[in-house]
Amino acid sequence: MLVFVQVLVIAALAPLLQGAMKQLRARLQGRPGPNPIQPYRDLAKLWSKEALLPDGTSIVTLCAPGLAFGVALTFAAVLPLTAQAVPVIDVVALAFLLALGRFALSLAALDTRNAFTGMAASREMTFATLVEPTLLLALLGGAILGHGTALESLLGVAFGPASMLAFAAFFLVMLLETARIPLDNQETHYELTMMHEGLTLEYSGWQLALVGLGSYVRQLSFFVLAAMLLLPGGGMLVWIAVIIGLAVAIALVETLFAKLRLFEVPQVLTTAFILAATSVALRIFGAAA
Amino acid sequence: MRLRLCGVGFTWAVALCAAILAALTAVRGDIALGTLASPIDALRLDFGLSPLAVPFLALLALVSFAVGAWSLQRARPADIVLIGFFALAMLGVFVARSVAAFVLAWEAMSLVSAFLVAAHHERRDVRRATLTYLIFAQAGVVCIVAALFILAIAAGSTSFPVMTAHAGTLPVPLRSAAFALVLLGFGSKAGLVPLHVWLPRAHPVAPANASAMLSGVMLKVAIYGLCLVVLQLAAPAPLAWGVIVLVLGTVSAVVGVLYAVVDHNLKRLLAYHSVENIGIITIALGVALIALASGDAAVAGVALVAALFHTVNHGLFKALLFLGAGIVADTEGTVDLERLGGLWERLVWTAPFFLIGCVAIAGLPPFNGFASEWMTFQSLIAALAGTVPAVKLVLLAAVAGLALTGGLAAACFVKVFGVAFLGRSRRPESRALREPFDASNFALGLLAVLCTAFGVLPMLAVAPLARIAAAIVGVAPLGLPTLPVLPVTAAALPFAGALLCVALAARRGVRRVPTWTCGSPVTARAQYTATAFAKPLRTIFAFLLLPERRRALEAGISRWFPSRIRYRTESRYVVDEAARRFVAIILRWTRLARGLQSGSLRLYLTYAIATFILVVAVVH
Repeated sequence: MLVFVQVLVIAALAPLLQGAMKQLRARLQGRPGPNPIQPYRDLAKLWSKEALLPDGTSIVTLCAPGLAFGVALTFAAVLPLTAQAVPVIDVVALAFLLALGRFALSLAALDTRNAFTGMAASREMTFATLVEPTLLLALLGGAILGHGTALESLLGVAFGPASMLAFAAFFLVMLLETARIPLDNQETHYELTMMHEGLTLEYSGWQLALVGLGSYVRQLSFFVLAAMLLLPGGGMLVWIAVIIGLAVAIALVETLFAKLRLFEVPQVLTTAFILAATSVALRIFGAAA
Repeated sequence: MRLRLCGVGFTWAVALCAAILAALTAVRGDIALGTLASPIDALRLDFGLSPLAVPFLALLALVSFAVGAWSLQRARPADIVLIGFFALAMLGVFVARSVAAFVLAWEAMSLVSAFLVAAHHERRDVRRATLTYLIFAQAGVVCIVAALFILAIAAGSTSFPVMTAHAGTLPVPLRSAAFALVLLGFGSKAGLVPLHVWLPRAHPVAPANASAMLSGVMLKVAIYGLCLVVLQLAAPAPLAWGVIVLVLGTVSAVVGVLYAVVDHNLKRLLAYHSVENIGIITIALGVALIALASGDAAVAGVALVAALFHTVNHGLFKALLFLGAGIVADTEGTVDLERLGGLWERLVWTAPFFLIGCVAIAGLPPFNGFASEWMTFQSLIAALAGTVPAVKLVLLAAVAGLALTGGLAAACFVKVFGVAFLGRSRRPESRALREPFDASNFALGLLAVLCTAFGVLPMLAVAPLARIAAAIVGVAPLGLPTLPVLPVTAAALPFAGALLCVALAARRGVRRVPTWTCGSPVTARAQYTATAFAKPLRTIFAFLLLPERRRALEAGISRWFPSRIRYRTESRYVVDEAARRFVAIILRWTRLARGLQSGSLRLYLTYAIATFILVVAVVH
């Protein structure tokens, strides 16, 4: 039962995080910015509107937003915040699950016959391949110490250099997964910058609402996981503080950095991989010593 | 027509035999089927079955049955008859229990499959591919024969059970020599990098039903051979063997999928994915060997189950995809992704089944590829506990490699399905006919159902495989109880979400509008192509793929307004380039031997007599 509450709370707060970050970034850039509750208004409005789909698209395109939304909800459900109801989805399965959502949206993007969405699908799948090894290595800290691969294993890891490196790697990966500058850009879906946003260019109405809420839920879930990686023994209040800290940090990053050229993104991801691999090596030889 | 029916009947009969033998062995354990004695004891033929052969026999039965059904209406009659013999030869390898029987069946398998590869021998590239295949097959079998006889001579018998019983008493250097030889022999048959060179040439030129058998089953026969030697005939394996197998598997998985992602010939791309999946199976096998060497039999059991499970799964989805590619080739006349598009509207039966195959091979829940890849990850992580730090690093490198492989495979099958089946047809002349449901769709459907069943209810396969693994490693594998619910849980909400979309669309309606193309007309040419889709990956992995770009402008009114642009990209691949240089060196040396071959009968008779005299002189 608790797990339903967990999903509901995460889904209810996820748009607020998005709105708050947008407001904060606007303030940092000297603009008044939208009200933090604007994402709720947007979602409500989109939900009430009809959906348009390109001529001749298949059922894949119709279903992909719901599938991606379901993936995001599952992600929120498996976070080890409350007593676990779905412990069978471990770190490895989580990585595959996120890939399933991406797979569906990318297929839909190629189905729309639009060159922009096709380009976004290509980039999305390309960078996802570079993200996956890093994501797994960063999240396997507990497993290396022999706590198994369940997500709770993350909580049994002590804070130290290895966990900080794993967090740093995860943070870089998270910037891409939540479509943040300097790796991606949420504000636009046109050629030079787009990845995540371009993917869903052809969606509208209630389908876009599903896509939007899904990506907000995914974002908050990533934040929670990052907080757990940084301070495994923290507990709820500490994690909330870390999440707020992360939101501020990302707003700062988005203000201070410019969007990287597309082919510089792999360098950032390689850096993240090296950080994760170093953390793994530290854990192995630390445990051996 | 009658010949074709005979061929299908023959293939089905072999499939039935394989199924019965698999069921019997699964229930009864070791079975001896009989012996053909020979005046020379080393050449006697023993037949029998051990539990290790069960998953392979089951796979042979399932794939042969599906291939037979597919061939009812599509295949050229001669092909399906040959496929029957091919299946029979593979059955022979599984029931062989002495060195001579194994080698005989193995050679029969290689030769029949070479005929299948050469089916369209009027084409030059087919003849070259067949020749390459035969060279690799024959070089491989030399290694296999040498290894098996080394072990047999040391054990004092050519019968597999006796050799298995004696294996532990043999000195390690001798067993290691045999291991190195079988790695070359079975590795080249299975397509492990860098011995994979023949595979992407031979598999695509064979007819689709033969490709399904080659990729789906024959590669697994090589895996069977490898398992047979490292787990039984030359057991116990030292730690180093496990590490070597693991590294080879990881390299094969990554290199195979990287090649696939930039290839746009559907059948060749699938062949590269066979290299990848053989790599994944080999990773799991390597983990099993490492765990056995570290004395962790329970983990070895999990790894062995993962290897056998992925063996079966890959056979199923690869047969599905190759048979689907055959239907595409029949209806569209091409398997070039750049010319395909919008097949979803016309191949109304093939497309959904093919999609299941794509999701399964990409290792995504809730299909069988996910179940076995997840188990492979679990075994890699479980093996961490029992080993020295250096091996731990190798295991984690394999985790990273396997994760990269999974990501690339997903990217590749987004490309395949998105470009070929979704979107709009790229050829204006292609007919707007909907395909009727026929036997070949039934075959695809059957394989798709199996891929789904083994994904949603993995215990169907895992429970019997766990018993087999327990018989081999001696301990029941641990950590399996969580598996039966996992893929279902992982995919329950996403699929509920997909259904929600269907329900909402039914209730609220979805308005169809033209694709937004910034005001320009909507044409098929505006769609993203396979080459464009793979471009970022080609750029990022340029150091491995060595892409080349050729551009030719036909000048129009000026250089800046060309009338036509030709654009071609090709990848040369680091590994293939190295192999090519190596082969060039060998060819230079073999030229010296050319002088021996004059084609004159008298000269050959002289050789024979000289050899005879030499042998007699040495023996006395």
